[in-house]
Amino acid sequence: MDNIDIKELHWMLTITQNIDVGLVVLDRDYRVQLWNTFMENRTGVLPDKAANQSFFTLFPEVNQAWFSKKIESVVTLGTPAFTIWEQRPYLVRFKNLQPITGQEDFMYQNTTLFPLRSTNSEISHICLVIYDVTDVATNRHRLQAANNALQELSSTDRLTGLFNRGHWEEMLKNEYARHCRYDSQVSLVMFDIDHFKRVNDTYGHQMGDKVIQRVAEVTRQLARTADIAGRYGGEEFVVLLPDTDKAGAKIFAERLRLAIEAQEMSHEGHVIRCTISLGVADLAEQTPDYKTLIEWADQALYASKKNGRNQVSVHE
Amino acid sequence: MPMIPLLICDDSNMARKQLLRALPSDWDVSVTMATNGQEGVEAIRQGLGQVVLLDLTMPVMDGYQALAAVRAENLDAKIIVVSGDVQEEAVRRCMELGALAFLKKPAEPEELKQTLSRLGLLGVPATTPALIPAAAGARISLHDALREIVNVAMGRAAALLARVLGVFVQLPVPNVNMLEVGELHMALADAQSRDRLTAVCQGYIGDCIAGEALLLFHDSEIADMARLMQRDSDDYSDMEMLLDLSAILIGACLSGIAEQIDVEFSQGHPQVLGTRSGIDELIRINQQRWKKTLAVEISYSLEGHNIHFDLLMLFTEDSVELLSHKLAYLMS
Repeated sequence: MDNIDIKELHWMLTITQNIDVGLVVLDRDYRVQLWNTFMENRTGVLPDKAANQSFFTLFPEVNQAWFSKKIESVVTLGTPAFTIWEQRPYLVRFKNLQPITGQEDFMYQNTTLFPLRSTNSEISHICLVIYDVTDVATNRHRLQAANNALQELSSTDRLTGLFNRGHWEEMLKNEYARHCRYDSQVSLVMFDIDHFKRVNDTYGHQMGDKVIQRVAEVTRQLARTADIAGRYGGEEFVVLLPDTDKAGAKIFAERLRLAIEAQEMSHEGHVIRCTISLGVADLAEQTPDYKTLIEWADQALYASKKNGRNQVSVHE
Repeated sequence: MPMIPLLICDDSNMARKQLLRALPSDWDVSVTMATNGQEGVEAIRQGLGQVVLLDLTMPVMDGYQALAAVRAENLDAKIIVVSGDVQEEAVRRCMELGALAFLKKPAEPEELKQTLSRLGLLGVPATTPALIPAAAGARISLHDALREIVNVAMGRAAALLARVLGVFVQLPVPNVNMLEVGELHMALADAQSRDRLTAVCQGYIGDCIAGEALLLFHDSEIADMARLMQRDSDDYSDMEMLLDLSAILIGACLSGIAEQIDVEFSQGHPQVLGTRSGIDELIRINQQRWKKTLAVEISYSLEGHNIHFDLLMLFTEDSVELLSHKLAYLMS
């Protein structure tokens, strides 16, 4: 070997040592043959201590059966194998080392395993490359959180926090599909605030908003977790009750009516009360589509209004 | 001894040329060419194929069918299969159907000569050059060259897959197309409309020839694949299984191509795209950057199982010219 070769070799070694990815070379018995500075710095194990140690002794968290299978496929097929953080967050567990910018507990990793051939072209060693992809994972997680927040924003009504009409109708469609497939029961309670226009005209829109918010709050308190409550229009609300027939829904509607009636809201020394009129329908009879359920509940609601308000009517 | 009528039956112009070039120079033959099994059997009937070099993967009538037809009609032909499909089961089936030998593509001149000599088909050395049809001089297109390269590469990938899964892989003729991004989009949208898809993408680059492999799985078939892969631990997720399968298929296919065009490809980390994480959305984003892409499409199906994979190798527009330089020696 002449001088140039030695110089280049020296360079190569320095680069291998200093490159910001983890490099480990394993022999066919999983013993470490190369261990670069990246690995040394993160494990505290010096290269001469790591040399000839079993990979599984150094990293007891690695599932031996799984990892060996992976390595064996690299050797028999002669093609590289990969792990990605979405599939396994890490191969070897390294703590996150950035107290300020680090937001995860450990280093997310992508890894590559590729065969190293000896001079007789047999695969005698495997090279493992570990990439730190914590930044990528952190950003992806943030993006997901932002998307979830957006999803929530676009599905809820700003004033009341109930589902908005569009999202609520989507949920109704799903329930209707479930009903068609499994013959599950579902009923709908539709209601609106009696003489709401009068509240607005007398006490102003801000008070009107407060009344709407209070009605929504009471509805939320009385609804079960599985029930799907939404603001359908201005002062109009809907609650979808899965696995409930109209008799059950009527009990819920009556309880809701009494609870709203009992509310007292104060405004500049005045005590304001309000009542609601409700309509109940279910899917016991054949319906051509989900909209029919809304129509039926609406008809029942209209009957409550016509008969003097502050009452529950059931579509028959 | 009279000249031996030799038939070369392969759908690829390039493969036929490669075989012609690999023939022993002093072999006293008159050569006939056929581009599918049907033409081949017809030529044999006319006495033009006393010795036959037969490909397996061909349109109209494939090599297996041709072997079966020759046997059924009791035609006198000594058939050597020359194929890119190197699955053990493929070899076994050919021999069972009466082939005398099986050579893997691209056939080595020395190996071909030894095989012919072993079978006693070489006859008396000729004093005059072999009779070669004029059509053999026609230029080979990039598509044809690429199709043949991929044919050989996918055969190797299939052999690995067959070994790992213990199945027989059915291989069609690969499609090679220059695709507009819009067409690609339509093809994907079409595939998605029938079934939910999961795709594994992996970028590759070597000698500035770059592209991305896209392996499409039908979600409804994933459970069947898991059974084949003998997934025993809970630790082994669907995603990991798909990644392992794609490592085999994409890795083997790429190394098969690399070897033939003398390039080393390095591969990026794979990415898993679900229907929900928007395969078509990705293509929409790339519409600005990519106008045209060279697409190689390979469909694998597993015999006896309702499992199919579609492997798309997409080369960037810039890679096409580099690729044709690499293939030039094969096309001349």
